[in-house]
Amino acid sequence: MNPEYPALSTASLIDLDSPMTSLKQYQLAAALERDLGHPAIADNPLSFQRTAEIDEQETFPEAEVAWLYNWQLQHYYIPTQCGGKFTSFEEFVGFVRVMARRDLNITIAFTTMFWSFLTWMAGTDAQKAKLAQYMQEDHGTMCLAYSERDHGSDLVGGSVVARKVPGGYRLTGEKWPINRATRSGITYVLARTNEEGGNRGLSLFMVDKREINPNEYGNNPKIKTHGIRAADMSGIYFEDCFVPDTMLLGQEGQGLELALKGFQITRALCAAFSQGAADTCLRTTLNFALNRQLYGKTVWDMPHARRTLVNGFLDILTCDCVNLAAARGFHVAPRQFSVWSAVDKYFVPVTLENMQQDISVVLGARFYMRDEHDHGVFQKMLRDSSIISVFDGSSVVNLHALILQRRQLAKTRGRRKPKDIEAINARLKNSFDLNTDLPPFDPTQLELISRGADDVPQGLESALEALEALTPAEVDATVLGCLKQQGQQLLQALDDQDAAIAQSAFEHGHDQSFESFEQAKHYCRIHAATACLHMWLHNRRHLGEFFAQGQWLVLCLDRLLAQWLPTRPAVPETYYATVEAELLSLYKAEQMFSIVPFQLATLPAADPVPPAPAAMAIP
Amino acid sequence: MNPTATQSQTATSPVEAIQIWLVQQLSEVLSLDPATVDVTQPLTRYGLDSIDAVTLVGDLEDWLDEELPSTLLWDYPTIAKAATYLVEELEVSVDTGN
Ligand SMILES: Cc1cc2nc3c(=O)[nH]c(=O)nc-3n(C[C@H](O)[C@H](O)[C@H](O)COP(=O)(O)OP(=O)(O)OC[C@H]3O[C@@H](n4cnc5c(N)ncnc54)[C@H](O)[C@@H]3O)c2cc1C
Repeated sequence: MNPEYPALSTASLIDLDSPMTSLKQYQLAAALERDLGHPAIADNPLSFQRTAEIDEQETFPEAEVAWLYNWQLQHYYIPTQCGGKFTSFEEFVGFVRVMARRDLNITIAFTTMFWSFLTWMAGTDAQKAKLAQYMQEDHGTMCLAYSERDHGSDLVGGSVVARKVPGGYRLTGEKWPINRATRSGITYVLARTNEEGGNRGLSLFMVDKREINPNEYGNNPKIKTHGIRAADMSGIYFEDCFVPDTMLLGQEGQGLELALKGFQITRALCAAFSQGAADTCLRTTLNFALNRQLYGKTVWDMPHARRTLVNGFLDILTCDCVNLAAARGFHVAPRQFSVWSAVDKYFVPVTLENMQQDISVVLGARFYMRDEHDHGVFQKMLRDSSIISVFDGSSVVNLHALILQRRQLAKTRGRRKPKDIEAINARLKNSFDLNTDLPPFDPTQLELISRGADDVPQGLESALEALEALTPAEVDATVLGCLKQQGQQLLQALDDQDAAIAQSAFEHGHDQSFESFEQAKHYCRIHAATACLHMWLHNRRHLGEFFAQGQWLVLCLDRLLAQWLPTRPAVPETYYATVEAELLSLYKAEQMFSIVPFQLATLPAADPVPPAPAAMAIP
Repeated sequence: MNPTATQSQTATSPVEAIQIWLVQQLSEVLSLDPATVDVTQPLTRYGLDSIDAVTLVGDLEDWLDEELPSTLLWDYPTIAKAATYLVEELEVSVDTGN
């Protein structure tokens, strides 16, 4: 047996306790859940009723954001080395999901604090100390001012200028549309310090509004948006505004480099917004399907509805594997994040946005209503979450970044030597085994290119060897048979794409063909499927019986393979019943739809969730 | 990358070998006539954008079999400057065939 995988001699050794008992990185999320309370209770801080009202009024969620500060959640955006309590991105993703499943207006408004990683990455000790104090004690926050009216994704094309003067710079120009541009004390501004522009012509400033002349800058009015309608979407303009040298982050000319590296961090974290939204959409739809009676039965009783919801749950599990691994991978393989975070930011938001659309069919007319059924939370989540794949580097921008590195990825994969594979396996164990401790995140390790490394697909053969080593005493023979076959199909797809890439003419720049974007999407799916496989292999022992059985994994892989293999061997129909049962059980127990189904807030006993009809009993 | 491209021209020094290789790459990437590439002009003038410049460093690493700063062509924005830096500061070795 491959020593990188936990040894497991008999199925009876599987830890059937709640996964929560041993995974300390989920305790913070569970605690926040408990204190926020059930979102169906109107008086709770981020209840569905309250957040619907906020959205309708389009007013900034002042009290809710204050509640989160008073809970001291801001400390978890500040690394321990800088005086805060942030220890891992896995923990971070966990608590962001807890907020996001309630409301994205509030989550996104509060989480602009993740831009502080720019300072944790590149700031001086004095800048770090000042920012930490501002966040912890003054309950301050920041915004990211990169985009301009005439320059969106094209950062180098930006026209805000910072002219050098004695002791500092004079900033001129406008940034728009910027989330929290008005309601934030710190603005990260990307500006031209070289008139000619160019790759070293941009610098990043951490502008502290408290210390600049209020007559030299201003904010644009609120922009009305389709979703996150309560957000402070606005802009900021500078008119020959003096900013002292102490507000420059990193070196002059380092702006583009820092911006691109900072995106690697925040892009992967955006996936957690989508995960929270997806959980609520599925939960509220289940609530409907289990209780709505027609033709003498419930919606859930109808095979089409049931399968649609199960597929949605499978998509959530797939995205869990992708995003939890990415969150952990930051600590283990930060040098690969120009690729890894592009995959994550493309795959997770897009998959979950599609999933929400898919399950809206089951909710029917109510998916469109703003005040029916759980206070119209479904349509709100749909509106709110549709921006996730656009902001902070859109799907095309991420795919484009991947396209440019795709040839190196193929080359490097073709050159792997036994010692490289050994190193990949060791990193994969740390990135995937949720029981292993993570090294502290070191942002100085981030790189603009991954030099052809992407552990997840490059460890596929190792995963297949581990499958070969499993015995029917450990894993059901049919499950194992399916997984081996699916693993080979994945390997074939990866080999085929690598071969095609090696033969094709390589385009640089922004002249990439439509087809190359499709190819990049395909790569993301292969990466995602392989992530599911690694996740299962490394955690079979500690994530409970449902996880260990692996039937869900066969179905998740089947859903991904279906996208390029329309004809493939059928998977056992009974596996769907297993996943249905798990879905219902998590729903009833009010646990997160996740491979780590931690406990969510429950309703007081006197006020139970409407009971599911007897027919819905878990088999 | 096409190693034969450099073999058709003889380089007399490592700096020159790198210059020839970069000219060749740039012409391929941007569909230019190599004869029109001036090694003392900024690469951006030929339309090589920021992320292309980083990708090109990846190819250069492959050719030289050495890890380089990924922002090399941002910091040394002409072919001449980059080649000189690589040889004189980073002391990379290139087989010039001599
Ligand atoms: C709710 C919301 C919040 C936002 N928050 C912020 C914020 O806090 N800070 C901030 O700086 N910005 C913010 N933005 C701006 C957002 O990041 C920009 O919309 C984004 O940068 C894209 O810019 P653009 O829409 O102007 O599109 P452009 O960059 O002008 O692109 C137009 C189109 O060209 C295509 N395209 C672009 N690049 C490529 C490529 N590489 N390959 C192929 N096709 C491409 C795409 O189809 C794209 O949609 C926010 C936007 C919204 C709606």
